[in-house]
Amino acid sequence: MDEILNVLVDLTVYGSVLCPILYLKGFVVNNKAFKFFTLYLVAVALVQICMRIHGFLYQGEPNLHFFIYYFVSEFILLSLFFKELLEFKAIYIITLGVLGFIATQYIIDPSMYFRYNPIGSSITRLIIVSYSLLYLYKSLSDNQGFLIINIGIFIYFLSSVLVFAAGNLVFEDALAKKIASLLSNINTVLYFVFEILIIVEWWRNYRISKIRTN
Amino acid sequence: MDLIISEDSQVLNILLSAIGLLIFMALAVVLFFYFSRKKIVQSELEKANLQIEHQREVIQANLITQEAERKRIAQDLHDAISSKLNIVSLNANMLTQSDIPSEETNKIAGDILKVTTTVLESSRQIAHDLLPPTLKNFGLESALEELCDSLSDTKKFEVDYHSEYPNNTLSETSELHLFRITQELFSNAIKYSNASTVQLTLEKQEDIVSLQYVDDGRGFDLEKAKEAKGIGMSGIENRVAILNGSLQIETSEGAGMKLSVLVKLDAEEE
Repeated sequence: MDEILNVLVDLTVYGSVLCPILYLKGFVVNNKAFKFFTLYLVAVALVQICMRIHGFLYQGEPNLHFFIYYFVSEFILLSLFFKELLEFKAIYIITLGVLGFIATQYIIDPSMYFRYNPIGSSITRLIIVSYSLLYLYKSLSDNQGFLIINIGIFIYFLSSVLVFAAGNLVFEDALAKKIASLLSNINTVLYFVFEILIIVEWWRNYRISKIRTN
Repeated sequence: MDLIISEDSQVLNILLSAIGLLIFMALAVVLFFYFSRKKIVQSELEKANLQIEHQREVIQANLITQEAERKRIAQDLHDAISSKLNIVSLNANMLTQSDIPSEETNKIAGDILKVTTTVLESSRQIAHDLLPPTLKNFGLESALEELCDSLSDTKKFEVDYHSEYPNNTLSETSELHLFRITQELFSNAIKYSNASTVQLTLEKQEDIVSLQYVDDGRGFDLEKAKEAKGIGMSGIENRVAILNGSLQIETSEGAGMKLSVLVKLDAEEE
């Protein structure tokens, strides 16, 4: 079981590098929403690579300070992505408001930088889930693309809200190892499913345009 | 120690079931979305198919009308012009013979003159039937009046025509459509209705032009007529559709027929 999970962990890391490469090929010719999503994939890949490098250099040391870059960049880029799809100007205001809130959190308590931020990550994830739900509703009647990605976002973000919210349990010694590994395993599986959906979307809708532009 | 472990596993269990619940809900929403979408697409497809079917019927009806019209024109040309020109040709041929007395020549020339006059008259009539010059020159009101007069002349029934319509309210094409609708109604009246009086009203009220037709003939069953899709009726329907107007028919067997066409001025197609 552990071996399978280790393979899965490696696969998600390779996947998070592969996805942006696939999407970057169509970056120029596709619309703004596509560009924002590609940037999101690039951001995730960068954080993953940094964490890997960090892991090699400082083995065993906590790498939680990467977390803020991960969830903030994810929130900003996916908000912009959904702004393009939903065409709600209010998304800008919501995004700025939430970013202001997160900034205040870190100013008041700088040590948060080395912990999970359950409130911040839950809020950002739930907001993204709401956008995704709105877009699902919008796609009921007309197909404007990104259907599979949106389904992936919905499943992954909704399911992983609790995983991230419970992240700080790692610091409770008695629970630590068991729960930490369990949570990261659940996250890995969910993220793996999400990556598969991202690749399926690319395969079905953007593979051809890539060939056309070459 | 045991207590702590069981508390641990409780937290773990709650956490796991909560995450499981979230996954389940996410999947449920996605499935719900998938099936709803399928349903919506299906119903849209059905709607589109229905529309295509309707269009096909309209085209078919148009083609049939066109063919019938061609046949009628061909018949008219043959009966009124070709056959008579044949007579002229025969007579003219006789004139070319050198040994006919001058009285005969005069008689033949008289015949030719007579026949050509009727041919001329017939050709004018045919052209008139195809596109009445009154409509173009004096507008819908006068054209309908002329049509009503010609109908009264048949002595089949009394025609009561009433009109309050300023000229050029509708575009030329729209007026032609209304004229054709009236023509069709009259020809139906002659063919089927057995009516003794026919009322025709053309009015402009604010931004609506209404054409009302009432007869006291034997009427018909509207449902049956719809199923039968008579060319005449569907022709009228098509023209009203082109005008973006609305069509109301009130009729039943033995109770005459009332038909009104309403055209909104800004909705009318240019």
